[in-house]
Amino acid sequence: MTTSSPPIAVAAVRPAPARPRGALAEIAAHRDLLFLLAARDVRIRYKETVMGFAWALLLPLLVLASGVVIQFALTRVSGAPLDATRIAGVLVKSVPWSFFATAVGFATASVLTSASLVAKVWFPREVLPLASVAAQSVDLAVAAVAMTAGLAALGVGGHAASFWAVPLVGLLLALTAGLGLLFACANVFFRDVKYLVQVFLTYGIFFTPVFFDASVLGPRVTPWFMLNPVAPILEGLRLAIVGGHDLLVPLRLADGTLAWTPAYLAWSVVAAVGSIVAGLVAFHRSQDLFAELL
Amino acid sequence: MTPPIRVDRLSKRFRRGVRHDSLRDLLPALFRGRRDGEHEEAEGDFWAVRDVSFEVERGAALGIIGPNGAGKSTMLKLLNRILRPTSGTIAIEGRSAALIEVSAGFHPDLTGRENVFLQGAMFGLRRREVATRFDAIVDFSGIEPFIDTPVKRYSSGMNARLGFSIAAHLEPDVLLVDEVLSVGDMNFQQRCVQRMHAFKRDGTAIVFISHDLGAVGALCDRALFLRSTVQAYGAVNDVITSYSVASVGGSISTGSEIVIERAMLERVDGGDPTSVSPGEPMRLVVDYRVEQGRGGLVLGLVLHRSMDGMVLYDGAFSTQEVGVDFTRAGMHRVVFDLAPHVTRGVYHFATHVWDPATHSIVSRLDPAASLAVHETRTYSGIADLAVRAAATH
Repeated sequence: MTTSSPPIAVAAVRPAPARPRGALAEIAAHRDLLFLLAARDVRIRYKETVMGFAWALLLPLLVLASGVVIQFALTRVSGAPLDATRIAGVLVKSVPWSFFATAVGFATASVLTSASLVAKVWFPREVLPLASVAAQSVDLAVAAVAMTAGLAALGVGGHAASFWAVPLVGLLLALTAGLGLLFACANVFFRDVKYLVQVFLTYGIFFTPVFFDASVLGPRVTPWFMLNPVAPILEGLRLAIVGGHDLLVPLRLADGTLAWTPAYLAWSVVAAVGSIVAGLVAFHRSQDLFAELL
Repeated sequence: MTPPIRVDRLSKRFRRGVRHDSLRDLLPALFRGRRDGEHEEAEGDFWAVRDVSFEVERGAALGIIGPNGAGKSTMLKLLNRILRPTSGTIAIEGRSAALIEVSAGFHPDLTGRENVFLQGAMFGLRRREVATRFDAIVDFSGIEPFIDTPVKRYSSGMNARLGFSIAAHLEPDVLLVDEVLSVGDMNFQQRCVQRMHAFKRDGTAIVFISHDLGAVGALCDRALFLRSTVQAYGAVNDVITSYSVASVGGSISTGSEIVIERAMLERVDGGDPTSVSPGEPMRLVVDYRVEQGRGGLVLGLVLHRSMDGMVLYDGAFSTQEVGVDFTRAGMHRVVFDLAPHVTRGVYHFATHVWDPATHSIVSRLDPAASLAVHETRTYSGIADLAVRAAATH
């Protein structure tokens, strides 16, 4: 068979890439799909529900309320007053934690909820968990606006160090996306991963400094507690936004507790980058097995 | 230039056995030991596709045909990277668009318009690229009044039309098509076929999987008859013939007293005998080797439509009237002059030697030769009536 028409230019070469770089190129080529899937999630959540935008605030408000109760209990024990700073500290941490817990949960289930699509159409499957995280980050943005208003009402914040929030939120997004990819992939192979992740997220709040500051655990336990990769992000946000602390400077309390050190931040960077690389590699290597397992 | 689709020794094994898809099931299974697991695998394994190789050039179309469960859909999913091959390699170059189930990527709650963008994005198109094609897509699909209706309210035909329209406007380098043309009305099917021909002219490599042997014959240059392994691979009419012969129980058999050595189909004008117009003057040259002489025999000539084995012609010619003497041992040649006045499709000849006295077939060659007839006048039917229409004054 010959054709008289000239051969057309190859629009996109798509041999099966085995490396994460290939995965990134594919995801980049499908970034509009990521956007559309995320927009679809957001639209369905905000348009066709009674709560609408209130959904974005419900979980952070519940976390905040729980945190205020716990802070109240702590002040009862210590005798210190329950001041605006303590409430602001919980407020600043309730928003990113709510994002983290919800986004990881949705991302974990994302491939299975789109099973019919995955079984029939090819596209880089990474966009499914990533779109879940992206959709959830809209909630994060809405909640962040409310949080800023809350801080203003409490008369806390306005420090220059607040700009640390930008890299910290970046780290949070990377960590969430990385774990979301890993768990979504595992959930295709083992259906109970979803429940396991849910249990960890529910009780994880007690192993993460959300309701309280990590430093209340004292000089010996605090550094161990900060090994939780979410902990330095939340503590960093609180110290920078509420305390106006420059995160490049270590902070040692009177009892010798190392409340902050740039090493905490470095660890968080390692965990976030590690999780996103591991997530992309694991996901990319196994995604062509998904259709058989669904 | 290397062909844009290259498949080399491709195999896919499915496991029918027990799969551990929860951690709770996996942990006890791990402790039970590996031997158990291996046994399980061997029992339940089956090969959906085994050791299949083919290539598709630019501007060429390959038809994959075979009975249900032959691995055709698995093949397409492998080509489309939905499934991972167990062994073998697939190389696909360029933008590939697949129509496995045209509306598969549609989200029922979104409108046709939103789904056009979503589907385009799944194929890796930017929103801008979809936007520039949007009017053409909607126009081709013919469902403009419903473009802002959620697709869950669409009929299956509307789904298929929109789905095909999207794929048709992607300008793919490689197009993978499953049974999609079976949905939609006659007019739309016709436009799909035209569009696929246009793709071929533009250099797209097409893999077309269909039960409709007529459609395969009309579109494809080559075909592959798949039944897990490759049963036949080559020129489309030969493969369609061997598939239909295999499925209607025909066989290439020949007797021992009289052997039909070979049959050759020729065009009187010397052109390609496998691709002709209706009524093309042709001849079928049949060579007989008589081992044991017999008299009073009849030579049979049969024309089948390959897609369903339907007999279009079954003629008998006595050795006497043909003037061939089968009482004499040795080689004999008979030339059947004929003109197949049939509409487009794939057909094959069979020929036999019949003994009217014993009502038995002495020798048979089926298929003897195959041919593809091309014309664009008719929509359906078998007989070409050689109609000339003209106005009178």
